[in-house]
This record gives sequence, C-alpha cells and structure tokens, in this order.
Amino acid sequence: MSHVVFEPEKCPDKAARVWAGMREIARRIHSLDPDLLIIATNDHLNNFTLALQAPFIVGVADEYTPLGDMGIPKSPFPGSREFADGFVRFAAGAGFDVARAEEIAPDHGLAFPNLVVNPGGRVPVLPFYINVANDIPPTPARVWALGGVLREFITRERVAAERVVVLGAGGLSHWLCEPEQGRVNEAFDRMVIGKIVSGRGCELAGLTSDEIRRDAGRSGLEVMHWIFAAATVPHARGEEIFYEPMPEWITGMGGIALTP
Amino acid sequence: MSPAPYRVHRLIQDLNRDPRLVVRFENEAEAVFEQYGITDAERLLLREGTPRALMALGVHPNLQMKFLRIRRAAGVGGPSPLASYLRDLEQGR
Repeated sequence: MSHVVFEPEKCPDKAARVWAGMREIARRIHSLDPDLLIIATNDHLNNFTLALQAPFIVGVADEYTPLGDMGIPKSPFPGSREFADGFVRFAAGAGFDVARAEEIAPDHGLAFPNLVVNPGGRVPVLPFYINVANDIPPTPARVWALGGVLREFITRERVAAERVVVLGAGGLSHWLCEPEQGRVNEAFDRMVIGKIVSGRGCELAGLTSDEIRRDAGRSGLEVMHWIFAAATVPHARGEEIFYEPMPEWITGMGGIALTP
Repeated sequence: MSPAPYRVHRLIQDLNRDPRLVVRFENEAEAVFEQYGITDAERLLLREGTPRALMALGVHPNLQMKFLRIRRAAGVGGPSPLASYLRDLEQGR
C-alpha cells in the first residue's frame, strides 16, 4: 500500500476512503497474528545518502526509532536480528549480496505504514529497503527474483509455524519534484494493481526501470516494493482494498491484499 | 535533465542532518557555498531556491524536498500533515 497520506482538506472524500482502506489493511494484518512484519520500502536519502548507495539493504538491528519526519512519533519498535541475518546469509548463497544496516532511523517510508498497521510496535519488523532513490535502481526482474529468494528462505529455513506478513509500501505513480508533478497515471496504477491481484505480478518483472519512470514518474519506482511483495506469493490472487487517483496529493494512492 | 553535481547534493545532505550548518547557512551562505565549492551559476539557483530552480539544477527530488523545507522554516515545520490521522490512530487504540 502507499506509504504516506496528506492533509484531507483538499479532497475529504477521497482521503477518507484512502484512510479507511489503510485501516482495513491494518485490520487484516492484525487478524493474521503475525510473528514478523517485513516492510519493503525505500529510504528518502535520510539514512542512505548519495555518499554511499546500495541496491538492497536489510535492517538487522534489535530495535529501531523512527526519524520523526512528517510528525511521526519517535516511538521505538523491535526488529528481528535473527531473521534478518539468516535472510542475508541465505540471499548471499542465492546470488544476492544484500547490505546489512545496524543504524537506521526509519523515515516515513517505513515508519508511517508501520504506525498504521502495527500500532504500538507489537510485531517485530524487518526493514527491507529497495533503493529506488538511487540514480541506478535495481531492475524489476532483480526485485522479483529477490522476493522469490525471501519466499524460499521462509519455506526452507524457517519453522512452519512462523507467520510472516510482507508489506510492500510506497507508490503509486507520482512525479515528485519533477516538471510533471501533480500528474497521476491512473492507467498505469490500475495495470499494476490488476496484474498483481490476478496472480500475474511476474509480468511486472518484465518492465524496465526506465519504463516505470516514464509511466509512473521517478518516485513511481516505489512500485518495486509492490513487485517484491507479490514475488513472495508469486501466483496468489488477491483483491484491491482501495485505489484513488489523487492529483491533490500528487500521487495515485492504493492498497491491495494477497493471501498465499 | 542531468543530475546536479555531487557537491550540491552533499551540501543539501549536510544541511539535512546538521542544524548548526543550517544556522551558518542562514547567516553566511557565501562562506558555506565556498566551503562546498559551489559555482556561481549553482549559487544563483540555490539562492533562488524555488522548485523550478532546483529542478533546473538537477537536484535529486528527495533533496529538493529537504532544501525547500530548510529554506521555508529553517527546519521548523508547521503542523504535521499527518496530524488528523495520528489523532485517529490514538483514539482507535
């Protein structure tokens, strides 16, 4: 689902539907009683600056305190070092060298969805960063493949009783601080949602990063997080929980649910 | 559009994480520009500090947001855009 909201005044009806959709996703996640919440998202050059850019970064710390941007409370929440380290090792054996991060103050990209779906920080969180802020982002094909590696890790290496929810947080189309800012490409957004909820998310792996930038804006590369989450349940069907094209918020806002 | 040179991005990144640099930038921008090797053409656009100028300079969108925020209120924002939602979450607990 999208990883931010804005003031409701300009579009109260749409904002209410978006918020209700986010709360519905929170309700569904809560009802699954997960042991771990993996949030696939991006940092907005707060933790991982242009001084050093890595394509994939996993948070391995025991605890995280949000950065506090956008007024998000700086309430600490637990991580899962044991799961995170295990996944990084497993991924290395599967051809993905994923960076490990100890010191992350998650910005809104992670902290906001976590606040909504994991109130009180009751469920440990694995921050999984896909670095779409990088001028040279990972390809959707690599993102899809790494989502498959996470699925393999969970099915092969973890106890069967462990309950893991993967939340892809970000998107949809938006041209933040680009000349087209304010444009929303509803057709692209609906295409992404339609493919994933119909079990055809793998087709998105065939897109190039440049195609996503063209059709969804540079910031629209955040749909990579949706692609990653879909890859962990590759043929699952699901449903659209909400979608609103919102030029008032300069973005398409959406949320879906998939169940393996 | 080509990306801005790293010296420009480095300046904005440092402003984003160093409140003392923000104060210094407010009081002696030229010295800070000099320290980071910012050219005259870049200074003009950064002094203008509008979205148009930052786009023309090729500043990364995430860093444009930070520079605009710093320029607007020296890091002291207005009410959070999330305020009403945060209240709702609090009440829903």
